[in-house]
Amino acid sequence: MSGAPKRLALAALVACTALGASAATAAAAAARGGLAAATRTQLANGLSVIVVPTSRLPLVDFRLVARAGAVNDPAGREGVARLTADLLTQGAGKRGAKQLAEDIEFVGGSLSASAAAEQMVVSCEVLKKDLPLGLELFRDIIVSPTFADAEFARKKEEALGEIASDKSEPSVIAENAITRWFWGDSPLGHPPIGWEASLKAMTRDDVVRFHHGFLTPERSVLVVVGDVDPAALVASLKTAFAGWKPAGPPPTGDPYGPAAALHGRMVRIVNKPEATQTQIRMMCPSVPRNHPDWYAMQVANTICGAGFTSRLVNSIRVEQGLTYSISSRFQQQRAAGAFRISTFTRNDQLRKCVDATLAEVKKLVDEGPTAEELDKARNYLKGQFPLGLQAPDELAGEIANVEFFGLPQDFIATYPARVDAVSMADVKRVLKSYFCTEDLKILVVTNGELAHKALDGLGAMETKEIE
Amino acid sequence: MLRRIGVIVWVAALAAPSLAVAAGKVKSPPAAAPALSPANYPVERYTLENGLTVLLHEDHTVPVVCFWQWYKVGSRNERQGITGLSHFFEHMMFNGSKNVPPKEYDRQLESRGAYSNAFTTRDMTAYYEEGGKESFETMLKLDSDRMRELSLLPDMLKSEVEVVREERRFRVDNSVPGLLDEALYSTAFAASPYHWPVVGWMKDLERITRDEMVDYFRTYYAPNNCVLLLVGDFEPANAKSKLAQYFASIPRQTPPAAPVDSEPDQIGEKRVDVRYPSETVSIDVGYKAPSVASDDIWTLDILSNILSGGESSRLHQALVYEQQIALSAGSSFRAGLEPGLFELYAEMKPGHTAEEGEKSLYAEIQRLVSDGPSERELQKARNQAEAGFITALKTNNGAGQTLGYYEHIFGDYKRMFTAIDRYRAVTAADCRRVAQQVFDAKHRTAAILVPLEVGKEAQP
Repeated sequence: MSGAPKRLALAALVACTALGASAATAAAAAARGGLAAATRTQLANGLSVIVVPTSRLPLVDFRLVARAGAVNDPAGREGVARLTADLLTQGAGKRGAKQLAEDIEFVGGSLSASAAAEQMVVSCEVLKKDLPLGLELFRDIIVSPTFADAEFARKKEEALGEIASDKSEPSVIAENAITRWFWGDSPLGHPPIGWEASLKAMTRDDVVRFHHGFLTPERSVLVVVGDVDPAALVASLKTAFAGWKPAGPPPTGDPYGPAAALHGRMVRIVNKPEATQTQIRMMCPSVPRNHPDWYAMQVANTICGAGFTSRLVNSIRVEQGLTYSISSRFQQQRAAGAFRISTFTRNDQLRKCVDATLAEVKKLVDEGPTAEELDKARNYLKGQFPLGLQAPDELAGEIANVEFFGLPQDFIATYPARVDAVSMADVKRVLKSYFCTEDLKILVVTNGELAHKALDGLGAMETKEIE
Repeated sequence: MLRRIGVIVWVAALAAPSLAVAAGKVKSPPAAAPALSPANYPVERYTLENGLTVLLHEDHTVPVVCFWQWYKVGSRNERQGITGLSHFFEHMMFNGSKNVPPKEYDRQLESRGAYSNAFTTRDMTAYYEEGGKESFETMLKLDSDRMRELSLLPDMLKSEVEVVREERRFRVDNSVPGLLDEALYSTAFAASPYHWPVVGWMKDLERITRDEMVDYFRTYYAPNNCVLLLVGDFEPANAKSKLAQYFASIPRQTPPAAPVDSEPDQIGEKRVDVRYPSETVSIDVGYKAPSVASDDIWTLDILSNILSGGESSRLHQALVYEQQIALSAGSSFRAGLEPGLFELYAEMKPGHTAEEGEKSLYAEIQRLVSDGPSERELQKARNQAEAGFITALKTNNGAGQTLGYYEHIFGDYKRMFTAIDRYRAVTAADCRRVAQQVFDAKHRTAAILVPLEVGKEAQP
């Protein structure tokens, strides 16, 4: 069967997006499953705790989100946040790697840790009856990871192997290449897994130092959603995390800023001679997540390249049959942002696909959307939003992000009203401000010789080998 | 194969279902009432006059609904020359029907806040829409129209087939896992409809005709060949009346003939190399395994769980943790309507060979055949199965997918509830017996990704 993803690389493809409900419905959602019933508290060590009881299924989900991502990797040690996260589950407290896996898997639970650009996420899901065990393991991997030498050496080797493996995945090659090229020397400019050279230089001390300095209570928020008694759970959390010491005062800024403005079109070709399909990425600078234009940008982007009826999908896929997938989106961090378009097409249609994509965005920016498109986009966003509030782990993720990005506490409850408040004038304004067609970087992964001919005249061009 | 990237993950790894739950065969479950039962998870099932089966499950947690349509057609219903047709249909179902011109399907849904997607496998084609509860009637209107009369407009066929060919290039021709999967199934099966890929051979995609599609639609997209599922925030009396209003008048068709599976017994190991640029070696091995008609599928699910259910499982422990020769290693089994494959796979670390990987995989298999699992391993597999059913129900979409799978593959969604008892009944002796039967080198096919360095000869 074309069934479950066989490898982690594939699992990344199935990240759900969930945004969007009528004012009445989302408010109802918030009241039933959301923040209305949340218990908030701050522990003595500075850890923010939010507990949301839901009794629909006998499950409990823990999620800790820390400001401990790849942007916090020291120069020359790119990849240490991710390696630290990988090692949390490989031995903690009184258990070695094998015992940890055995104990959580025996009860059918899950325990995981990962690091992305600016977040480290530790999560645990257990049946209600296994709550004490779940909390013990969750606490241990955050507060008392062992970082045994043998595990460090093994995980480092695996990370190096993953870097090698990724070189045969065109979409991963494209993501890493555009990230590095677009952000340059910024802490956002390396993939969380790091570089071959920085990983080889990594020592166990780097990991211990990173854990001590960044996976700390004052940099974290802990959200628990599930079939729990909030008061009793908060008491257990206080006991469990009492020994977790802050490393200092809460962080005040971020270790990076916005990307530099671009002037003109720049083209980079990553040579993959045997490819029969070309991966295409386009990118230009934008604003951080916590920006007042966010709602208008979401509406405008839904019209541009997010929904199935969006301009890009309609033109490039439905009408011209040039691709199976095209999308635009805003990548937004705490202190920076970017607008990006991703697609792929068969090699002989590369130039046509790039030109048609840029022309479609330009047309939308110049002429603005129709009133019907605006209405459709607002309804779509509102209708999809509550879908992401059903599963306890997804709801925990939404709540954690409100804290992480410093959004208003009523974000979930007011989302529909704020989407509704986006006007045609707002959309036209943000289209002109944030949707680039002239000043941007265009990256393709394909046969270099073919691409060089096809893209002639598009902009300043260079060809690179896969790094 | 999906209509668009994203969003569908098979829920519940270990959630296959239950045949003939002969109560006498089920051993007494160890303590605790099942977390999932008809009492705490009520489902209403009924059939309209035209043979259309409907399943309803109410959940008022969040004001949304998910509406699934499962058609009993997949690539197994195709034949040489029209491979990929089922999946091509999955795309065409969004491209115009009698009263819904092209593009209108998505426009009407998105205007009302709903999202749609679909997937095709060897056994089935399933569609869903998901959105605020107020979009429910729009879903019914659109979906009944395309079940009644699909347009299959020549212009749309022409441009959509290019989209599908691009999907093939993306998922198969430029993807190591895609290339290996295709090589494995087309080598392992000679005369089974599982021989060809779900997405179809590229040349078949170029030659499929509209007439073939019209025939296919009449045969397989009939109400008596479909199951509808509605999960979420709706009022049952109203939902039932609307479902009847939109779907009851669509005429029943002659049921399709069963596909022919003439696969002979395999009498020796088969091997296939795929040469492609890569810095790592990948291995995909398949042993011939029974269809859902066999009672042994429960044991095979348990075996797969023991081999690859998490980092404490045997294959991860052996190849990744102890020997440190692989980046990942695991197994997969999902019972289908035809006899299929029990798969083992590994991606080797750079510098490690396919020979090493196969040797280790087969050593673990041999250990399971000789000694069987421990009691604790069995209990862990059962616990994971039970928890898997609960987590599959976290969303309306997951619930619809689980119910649809059981209803489609086993002909009765209630197997979902008895599956847990079937898992609990599997013994260590069952595991040894079934492992011995299935893990026979004569019935094995190995597909190996042989890294090709660009511009040079193939290397081992």
